[in-house]
Formats: sequence, C-alpha cells, structure tokens
Amino acid sequence: MTRETAAELSGVDFAYEKEEPVLRDVHLRVGRGEWVAIVGTSGCGKSTLVRLFNALLRPDSGTVSVFGEELTEHNAPLVRSRIGMVFQNPDNQFIGETVEEDMAFGLEGLGLAREEMERRIASYSDKLDVSALLPRHPGELSGGQKQRCAVAACLTMEPEIVVFDEATSMQDERSRLELLTVIRGMKNHGGYTILSVTHDVDEMLAADRIVALKEGKICADRTPDEFFADPGLLRSCGIELPFRMELARQLSALGLCDAEGEYGDAAEAGRFGSGSEVDQRRGTRS
Amino acid sequence: MRGWIKRRAAGKRNSEKRLDGRNPVGVAPDSVSCPQMAADRSETVIELTDTDYTYQAGSPFAAAALYGVNIRIRRGTLVGIAGGTGSGKSTLLQLLNGLLLPTGGSVRVLDHMLVPGLHKPKLNALRRRVGLSFQFPEQHLFEDTVEKDLMFGPLNFGIPREQAQAQAVEALHAMKLDESLLKRHPLTLSGGQMRKAAIASVLAAGPEILMLDEPTATLDSAARRELILLLARLCREEGRTILVVTHRIEELLEVADEWIVMHEGRAVFQGDADELGDRADELDRWGIAVPEPLKCWAEWTARLPQLAALPLPRTAQEMARRIAEAVHQSANPSSSEEEAGDLGRLEASVCATN
Repeated sequence: MTRETAAELSGVDFAYEKEEPVLRDVHLRVGRGEWVAIVGTSGCGKSTLVRLFNALLRPDSGTVSVFGEELTEHNAPLVRSRIGMVFQNPDNQFIGETVEEDMAFGLEGLGLAREEMERRIASYSDKLDVSALLPRHPGELSGGQKQRCAVAACLTMEPEIVVFDEATSMQDERSRLELLTVIRGMKNHGGYTILSVTHDVDEMLAADRIVALKEGKICADRTPDEFFADPGLLRSCGIELPFRMELARQLSALGLCDAEGEYGDAAEAGRFGSGSEVDQRRGTRS
Repeated sequence: MRGWIKRRAAGKRNSEKRLDGRNPVGVAPDSVSCPQMAADRSETVIELTDTDYTYQAGSPFAAAALYGVNIRIRRGTLVGIAGGTGSGKSTLLQLLNGLLLPTGGSVRVLDHMLVPGLHKPKLNALRRRVGLSFQFPEQHLFEDTVEKDLMFGPLNFGIPREQAQAQAVEALHAMKLDESLLKRHPLTLSGGQMRKAAIASVLAAGPEILMLDEPTATLDSAARRELILLLARLCREEGRTILVVTHRIEELLEVADEWIVMHEGRAVFQGDADELGDRADELDRWGIAVPEPLKCWAEWTARLPQLAALPLPRTAQEMARRIAEAVHQSANPSSSEEEAGDLGRLEASVCATN
C-alpha cells in the first residue's frame, strides 16, 4: 500500500448542530486509484463525510487534505475542479436547457477552448452512451438516462476523484447494473480515485475497501471479503445479505455443504442463467 | 422455465399456495379499521380499460406514454408494478389519482370514472381515497414540524383540527415512528424516518388505496425490509389496497399478491409471482433484470427437476427448505425417515455433479 494519498481526513469532527455531532475524530486515507465504499445506516454521516472532501462542508476541527494539500478557503475552488460529484437525485444537478448545454456549462467554467469542449462532450457522452440525448431537455429524460448524463457531465471535467453519493439508489435494476459497469470501468481505467456512498451490496462488493460508519465514527475498514464474512457488522450497518448469499447461508444452516462450498456453488450456478454478475464480481476481486 | 409450465399444467399452483408460506405477514381480514374497507376482497377497485395517455395531446409535441392499458386491481391486494425507465409506471400512477386524465379509454378508480375530456372533474373526493407517495420524501414535507405535515392532508380535506391531529398520530404509529418526532422539523429526520414520515403524511388522510413510487429506493437494506413489512401489514390488517412501483422485484416478492409489468407504455404482464417466474425469459425484453430469486430457483430447478412441480418460494429461507426437502427425497425415495449424515453425503454428491 505505497499508493500516493488522494484524499485524507485526520481527526475530523463535524456537527450541523452543536449538540449533535455527526462525525467524531474521523481518520481516513484514500489512496490514488482506490475505490472506497462508504457504508452505514441512513443518518450515520456518510454523505457528510464525502462533502468534506470538496469543501462543500468544512470540519469543526481536524484537517481535510486532497493530494497532499490541506483544504483552505483559498484553495477550495481549485481542489473542487479535481473532484467530481454524482448525486442520488440527478435533478438536483441539472442547469442547462439541453443535456449538451448542461455539460458545456461546467466546461465553460474551466475556461476551455471550444474545440476541446466539443471533443470532451463527444468523447464522454459516447463512453456513457448518451450521445443521442445531447439535444434533449433534461426534464424529458428518464431517471436512468439522467443519471448517465450526470456522470458524463461530471467526467467531462476530467476529475481525479469522483464521488458517487448513492448514485445508483434511484435507478432501476438495469440502469443500476449499467452504472455499476461504468464505475467498474472507471476503476479499471486507473485514472480515477472513487468514493462511493452506498447501500447497494453489489457496489460494496466491487470496491477495494469498505469503510463503515456508525454514530459518526469509522467502525470498520475492511476488504469486501472480510466485511461480508462478519454478520454482526453487517447487521449493525443495516445491511441484509442479497438473496443469493442469504440462500447459500440458509442452505448451509440446513447442513447442505459448508459455507465455503456454497459460495463456490452459487457462483458456479451463475453459469446456467444470466447470473454473470456473480462471476464478474468474483473476477474483479481475484 | 419449462418446469414451471409443467407445474402449472399439473394444476398444483393454487392448491399449494397457502401451504407454501405465502402471505407470511398473515391475513387478518377481521381487523379492518375502516368500514368501507371491510368490503369483499374480490371487488375491483381499479379498472383501466383500453387506456391511452398522450402527453401534450393534439400539439406537435405529443408524446404517447400509455397505449391500450387494461388492468384490474382487487381491493385489499398488494400489487407490485415493475418496468424499465420510461415504461409508463409513473404516468400510470398519476392517472389513478386523477393528476392526469386519460386521452383514450377509461380509468375507473373506486366509484370515480375518468374519461378523456372530462370537464373540471371534482376529484377532491377521489384524492382523499387514493394517496400517492412520491419518489422523493422531501417533496412531501414542507411544513416546519412533522405534525403539521401529517395534519396538512386531513385539514385540506376539511377534517376538523382535533380529528386531524388524532389521524396524524395514528398514521405515525402505523409507520412505527415515535410520537417525539411530531415536533421535529421534517428535514432534520434521517432518510429512513423521513421516508416513513412522508408515507405517514399520505396515510393520515385515510386513503383506501395507497400508491408508492419507489418507496425504498434510498434506504439501507434493513430499513427497506422493515418498510416493506409495514406496507404488507397495512394491506393485510387494514385492508388497504397498496400499489408499489419498484425496481427491486426481489424485495417485494415475499409480500406482493400480484405483479404488473409495464413496457413501452403497455401493461405486458399482470399475474402473481409464479406466473412471473414462468415468463422470466421475457423479463429481459421488457427491460427488467431477472430478479435473483427467480434466477436461483431456475438454477436449482435445473439440478433438481422435482422442484419444478412447486410454486416459486418467496423467501430465501423457504427456498432453502424446499431445496433441502428435494435433496432429501432424491436421496431416499422410499424412506421418509432420514439421518442428517446421509443428507450431507447426498448433497455432497449433488454439489459434485454440478
């Protein structure tokens, strides 16, 4: 783990209201190119935590640094241009009259030449399969389409850190898997450090590390394998096993194969149908 | 999938259903809180007949959202509505409480008939009986205390203040929220509480039909399950008709009586989870990912063909039990008494062959 540090919180405390601290003495280091999933029950401070990284919020004490530079009022705008955010509700981040205009809005802010803006819009909308949507009004799009456009708009800014704040939670099953594939692709690309605040088990399993928050503190920082092997921890984080894992657990409780065998079994069974998600998941981890 | 067709042909479906852990939340038809809800469960409360809806009909920007939709929904059932993005699910909900009027065919909800071009229909009475909870809870909550938010609906429908207050408290309890939240500002609640408060604000007006658009989307998985069980209770114990638009079929599978699948503006499927399982091959074409329970069951049915005769188990626990029984039987077709050791050995061989 000699990765360069992309973002770091040290000794961070934060409260919206004095008597109700949201984060307490949080230490977290995220390496460049890493994908870290931030999990925990609703209201545990996950979204607050990621908002500290781009200075949308400022800590009451402790420091936030991004690429080795401590965030201050002066450098916050510069740092923000290196961090992209994708939110849960894409409606909250559309500004333009058309998707294209919306993407251009951010790029104009960077003071780019027109050709470069056009190149980036074409390139990223192609990558996210939204080229056909460019002339449309954001209001005409479905939720999944909006979210893909939001990701494309975020990536045109060519950020080094991308924060997904429950970005898949409003998506239908298919769009969710599509978006997951996009995030996986970004991870494989290697140029992005990814923070994803999520309740989605597939997203957690695809990450390099899972950081769990409870009552404002980090209560676990583990690999997905370790994390999902701890039922008590899962329960305290409000995470239920997905159906396939739960079935495997129930079968093993009935004495059919040991847990290890069942997991292998379930993954193998994926070959019969379109359960490729499991294989893919295993693939990314091995 | 072929197995399920066989099972249906054998006519086992209905007779097995009740034995099979269906309605795990428990049907309690006697404890009905609202007299008009005590009516026959076979009564159709929602009926769409050849319903069309076109946005901005008659203008150059016309965009059809629903085509020839035919749907019947019975009182006191919990209905899951699935469909890909842009399939017409949200348009459907908006037709059902008169936010939109059909541009073709008809929509009957309770005793209100909605037809195209209805001039200034009086829909207040309908909207009191049909509650809609939007996708984002914060869009419901606009007052400065939870109590005011919960009372807003009842007061708006002309219910006296004192009774409105009582209904607010009752709704809060129905969603298992603490009374201490009444004085809180809605936007200071946690995501899960906010969602429940939003649903409570709809419930407070006492709707017979409750429609929810992606009610669990932003919750953690334990909170999602808790909410689903609360909805099932509202349906089973209070006899409310509940429609839930969801993109997670699997989390509603345990409690839904019926499913409707929307695809490109058409209702392409209406039936129970067993029938949905039979048509799992088509889900992909309808823009829906095949839910994990259907996948797992299909995989196990391919290994243990005798499972094909059974209805789709609605929970992981139930599925595991069925699989264990099937393994048990194939180990020992003649004897019904079996020891765990033999079971384990046989299962090892099942695993090995796969």
